[in-house]
Amino acid sequence: MNPWLRGLIYAVVVINVFLTITAWSIWFERKFSGRMQSRLGPTFYGPMGLLQPVVDGIKLIQKEFLIPINADRLLFVIAPPLTVVLALGTAAVVPFGADIIAADLDIGVLYLLALGSLTIIPVWMSGWSSNNKYAMLGAMRAVAQGVSYEIPLVLASLVPVILAGSMSLSDIVRFQIKHGWFAFWPPGPGFFAFLFFLPASLAEANRIPFDIPEAESELIAGVSTEYTGMGFGLLYLAEYLHTLVISAVASVLFFGGWDGPFAPGLHWMVLKTLGLFAGIFWVRWSLVRFRSDQLMSICWRYLVPGGLILVMSAGLWVHFHRGSG
Amino acid sequence: MEMIPHVAKARRRANPYLDLGSYDPEADLMVLNLGPQHPSTHGVFRLKLYLDGEIIVKVVPFVGYLHRGVEKLCEKLTMVQLIPIFDKNDYVSPMMNEQSLVMAFEALLGIEVPRRARYVRTLLAELQRIASHLLWLGAFAMDLGGALGGGSTLFMYCFRERELILDVFEDLTGCRFHYNTHMIGGNRHDVPAGWATKVHAAINAIETRLPEYETFLITNDIYIERTRGVGVVDGQLSMDLGITGPVLRAGGVDHDLRRDAPYHCYDEIEVRVATATAGDCEARAAVRMAEIRESIRLVRELIDNIPEGPLGARKPIKTPLAEKAAKGHAYAAVESPRGELGIYVIGGGDNKGASPYRLKIRSPSLHVLGCLPYILPGHSVSDAVAVLGSVDPIMGEVDR
Amino acid sequence: MKLLGAENSEEVQKLLIEQFEAMENSLGGPPVVAVVRHLELAKKLRDEYQYRIFGFVVAAHYPAPAKDANGVGELIRVSYGLRSVGKGTKLATWQVCIPVDGAIPTLVPLFAGADWQEREQFDLVGVRFDGHPDPRRLMLSEDWQGHPLRKDYAIDTKVHPWR
Repeated sequence: MNPWLRGLIYAVVVINVFLTITAWSIWFERKFSGRMQSRLGPTFYGPMGLLQPVVDGIKLIQKEFLIPINADRLLFVIAPPLTVVLALGTAAVVPFGADIIAADLDIGVLYLLALGSLTIIPVWMSGWSSNNKYAMLGAMRAVAQGVSYEIPLVLASLVPVILAGSMSLSDIVRFQIKHGWFAFWPPGPGFFAFLFFLPASLAEANRIPFDIPEAESELIAGVSTEYTGMGFGLLYLAEYLHTLVISAVASVLFFGGWDGPFAPGLHWMVLKTLGLFAGIFWVRWSLVRFRSDQLMSICWRYLVPGGLILVMSAGLWVHFHRGSG
Repeated sequence: MEMIPHVAKARRRANPYLDLGSYDPEADLMVLNLGPQHPSTHGVFRLKLYLDGEIIVKVVPFVGYLHRGVEKLCEKLTMVQLIPIFDKNDYVSPMMNEQSLVMAFEALLGIEVPRRARYVRTLLAELQRIASHLLWLGAFAMDLGGALGGGSTLFMYCFRERELILDVFEDLTGCRFHYNTHMIGGNRHDVPAGWATKVHAAINAIETRLPEYETFLITNDIYIERTRGVGVVDGQLSMDLGITGPVLRAGGVDHDLRRDAPYHCYDEIEVRVATATAGDCEARAAVRMAEIRESIRLVRELIDNIPEGPLGARKPIKTPLAEKAAKGHAYAAVESPRGELGIYVIGGGDNKGASPYRLKIRSPSLHVLGCLPYILPGHSVSDAVAVLGSVDPIMGEVDR
Repeated sequence: MKLLGAENSEEVQKLLIEQFEAMENSLGGPPVVAVVRHLELAKKLRDEYQYRIFGFVVAAHYPAPAKDANGVGELIRVSYGLRSVGKGTKLATWQVCIPVDGAIPTLVPLFAGADWQEREQFDLVGVRFDGHPDPRRLMLSEDWQGHPLRKDYAIDTKVHPWR
């Protein structure tokens, strides 16, 4: 098949699948949190409120997209779509099966990290262009946080790369199929790398307990304070997309991707992704949030030095177990 | 020149009248209006924050957005008509408002309240304290954790438990919230049959769930990180500011009107006053949690020992004007969940003396908010929200 | 000469009468102290009698009587309360009586809590406090006209929101 055509088909499929999963993950989160809080969650539209995301979407589209009078109009308008584009872009290299992958790049991990760190820029754009003090504070917090947590994220992602000896995500999965999931084997670096990867990526996606850029009890809604209608909807969507991609990447890097018995690989991949996703929700609905300076101190005092040690130990493990043999 | 507060963070008492003209104009302070419409100002309250980065340099609070002119209304309505209006002042603990008001009128008119009515009042006060503190706990968690995060989960739980107490109140008075159950000289509603069992059930349910909430919030590491050493109001500052209640006790001052100036029937039971020494947000929360437990104990002690006898000093008054004219000044204070809620009343006003000439509410929340300009400088915006949540102001009572 | 429900303790009453020449108030309420000695009294109560917790400031407006034979005129009576700390806590109260255009020395240097209460009384009753560091209205908007708790301010006075 023509590689361009193949790429296009995969792109359409990936975008649609991810957007759909994201929309219904919002339903899932609302239901999940409702049950956690001894209430029902959405019940009105469809069985068990399953049509809630559709109704939400219609509501958001109907609403007027207000632009504040002193806002930087261009940046204000392009920031929300850009966040979604970047979040979706990261999904391109995530393998969902042995050959279900939009672009099997040799430098998949690098691409992922690069695109992930780019998401700070539209967030800053939206915060700056809103001409609102709360949005501005939120954007500054987001940038500080994003830049800081990029480092432990890279270090934690390096561990599977070193262990597998490849930067391609599908190669990392194939290595894990052969030798065992990195979260459990080799005992030590892989598991701790996962423990580092999760908070760092949560911080990058601005989820509780690291959601200080949009801390609504302090900054009203942070960067999205001035956004209405679909602009707000896109920012919201991008946040969930980002979380979903993180769960997918974490299951690829540490839980063997599509590896699993009995069922086809795709099922396992989706199961692992959604399991991690639900875990992130669980954390979100049961913790209070940090203060921004505490967040920074966690990153620079613990995660960065710890990540360096992890990378070193992974290197040593590779050197002694495989290099010699 | 004044020191920049975040340089002198150890200094606990900032200057609220700081002249910002003395700062280097290059310092480039940002003014942030927190409120009046803001998710965590607990109503309509505005804090004008002068920020250096995210560090607060100066705080100017603005109240009055909820001013309803209750004190002017008091000069026009008769004493009997006033009781339901006072339910709306501190809308989280309406019982306390009614009690302070009727106690002031009783002092003015020289009415002795029968023992049974005093017992029932004590019981209602303690139940109300539990409900009020539960609501505070939920709101505080929400301030720390956000409406779309862990905080809201605890908020829902606390509301579920508070509902149990409101159900008990509904059984007694017919109202969930604005009770109008106190009269001058007694209580309006007698304890219904089987009420004690329901109260026991509600109290037991709350007590079994309290440890869960403590695991959820109070012993959580992130929570401790957020609250320890934040917003220290020491005892001396509290007393100067007229702060009473849990905020004063968290600063190490052992002062509680229930024990120290007993009203109702507090002289017949032993109240163990909870105190802490640190004076920070964590200490305030700990004092309130201990007070919930203490109130549960007091309710258990009271509910089975309500004495027999009349519930009012006389028959209920049907017409508002029947209250006899009374001259003089009277003051009565109760220990509301937020501190000393006092009513100063001057008798002999309109309606042939059946209205107060002047009535003043000494609201604990007003004094508590007064501490913000002293303690917030040097903290960040996030801490401002945490401190505001931990001092538990009720705007209906602040503005009146 | 007492505040019903919260009488002064005997030693405070003695202090008020013997040292501060407090007088009976014909309208009831706590003893009346001369304005000039008001600050001294508060300081003494705080430092020597351990009345450390700030209680309240209550101002009440008394219009001139119809038959003003003694030339009493329009008065404002301001009651103060301080509370002692701990077991057996008591309230120490006294009153200050000033003409309607007079001023009272502020208690803010002694009790920081007097700040907002005095602002409130200034706002609602219109009593001026000398030396207050921040003499603005507290409850009502800055451009409000009149003082609502004065007896000559009718409860149905029209207020235009666009003023």
